[in-house]
Amino acid sequence: MKFHLKKKVKRWFLLGNKIHFTLYLIIIFITIIILVIQGSLLTFFIVSGIIPDLLLIMVVCLAFLWSEKRAIMVGIIAGFIQDVLFGPAIGFFCLAKMIAALLAGLASHEIYRDQIIGPMLTVFFVTFVHEIIIFYLTGFFWGNTFTFYVALEKLFLPKAIYHFVLTMLFYPLFYRAEQKKFFYPSFK
Amino acid sequence: MNQTTRKVMGILGLIILLLSLIFFTGKFRSRYTFAEDLIMTGLSPVQGFFSQLGLKTFTFFQGIVDYERVLEENKTLKTQLAARENLYYQLLELQKENYRLREMLAFKERTEYSLLPAEVIARDPSHWFETITINKGYADGVEKDMAVVTSSGLVGNVMFVSRNSSQVLMLTDSRRAVSALVQRSREPGFIGIVEGYPEKKGHLRIINLPPEANIQPGDTVISSGLGGVFPKGLVIGHVLEVGKDQYGLLQQAIIIPAVNFNRLEEVFIVVEIPPEKEGQEVVPSGE
Repeated sequence: MKFHLKKKVKRWFLLGNKIHFTLYLIIIFITIIILVIQGSLLTFFIVSGIIPDLLLIMVVCLAFLWSEKRAIMVGIIAGFIQDVLFGPAIGFFCLAKMIAALLAGLASHEIYRDQIIGPMLTVFFVTFVHEIIIFYLTGFFWGNTFTFYVALEKLFLPKAIYHFVLTMLFYPLFYRAEQKKFFYPSFK
Repeated sequence: MNQTTRKVMGILGLIILLLSLIFFTGKFRSRYTFAEDLIMTGLSPVQGFFSQLGLKTFTFFQGIVDYERVLEENKTLKTQLAARENLYYQLLELQKENYRLREMLAFKERTEYSLLPAEVIARDPSHWFETITINKGYADGVEKDMAVVTSSGLVGNVMFVSRNSSQVLMLTDSRRAVSALVQRSREPGFIGIVEGYPEKKGHLRIINLPPEANIQPGDTVISSGLGGVFPKGLVIGHVLEVGKDQYGLLQQAIIIPAVNFNRLEEVFIVVEIPPEKEGQEVVPSGE
């Protein structure tokens, strides 16, 4: 029984029978690059006060391509690194990104992966969920400065539309990378 | 337990774990943990590079678009500079006089400050928190709660310090309040951010002003030095409009900050120099 449990735990962490350490390394690497670009380069090109969350787009695209188990791991890794670099506390973006990834992973069962409109719509809706989670977490721990409806109209909606459009550029990249087995170089 | 229940339980467990992590790391820390410190230290040169790249690209295009305006501005600035130079010498004269008079009255010398220049290498990419990352850390003598300024006014204070970089909490962040003063009438109040206008997120407001407070558009608002984080007399901004608060009892005013928070490139960290002991007990010299 004990051995059985150990094996199960091990399998959960490795997410299947294949060992995908390189996968996580690649994700960590991409996350850091995206965050650095987003935090330094992109801040000079803000469109009406909205900075797109490229990391969220990445998490949702990858979650859409993979199952929700691995999606959760991707969400946690990306969120954790964002917390370390910019977050007010550890676990903050981690939680929001994890739930976003989980939802995207669940959605991918129902939606056809090979057409771009599916992930685009998923990103659109998941952006709302992600922002609403952060809105309430900020409100709970530090207090919010604007009401929910104002935030919905002035922040969430423009951001969701922005992400919707940006997914058109990013999803094909991740889709191609997945097909070319970019994330698992040892299994080529 | 079937598989679905187990999955749901696992996810709920993760959520609770993360929530408690937020709770424990969100407050009461001035320094990063070792792992965070390591990551920040390693990444700060990379962030610096990309920040410079963004800045260069931005200024290049801005320069092309605004060439005429820049020329015009240059002309006006030169005239202003000449006038300011005059003012500077007057100020120097006054400072000396002030020093002499203080000495005569045996006033305690005000704390002196030195400015440590730093570059902005990143800012929080989400719109939820107004923080910037600068390229000076505890290796350069930066400590938590030190004030951060630019030549035009107050920016905020240091929140977290790592080895070669620190995070600065700006005035526009909702998690803070600053004690302030109207420079002309010495009316005290608190600086908060403008609530309910995410699109006006650069604006500040001063609240808790008594109904009879003497404040009008155009007034300069400075830090009052109460609370101990910010030194007294740093410019926060200028009053745009004055109005009643939501209950109609107290006055409040919207302030345009002196600093453009969206375009910060170089900032100064205010490092306090404790006053020298000998200077304090000067007896007025008899004539």
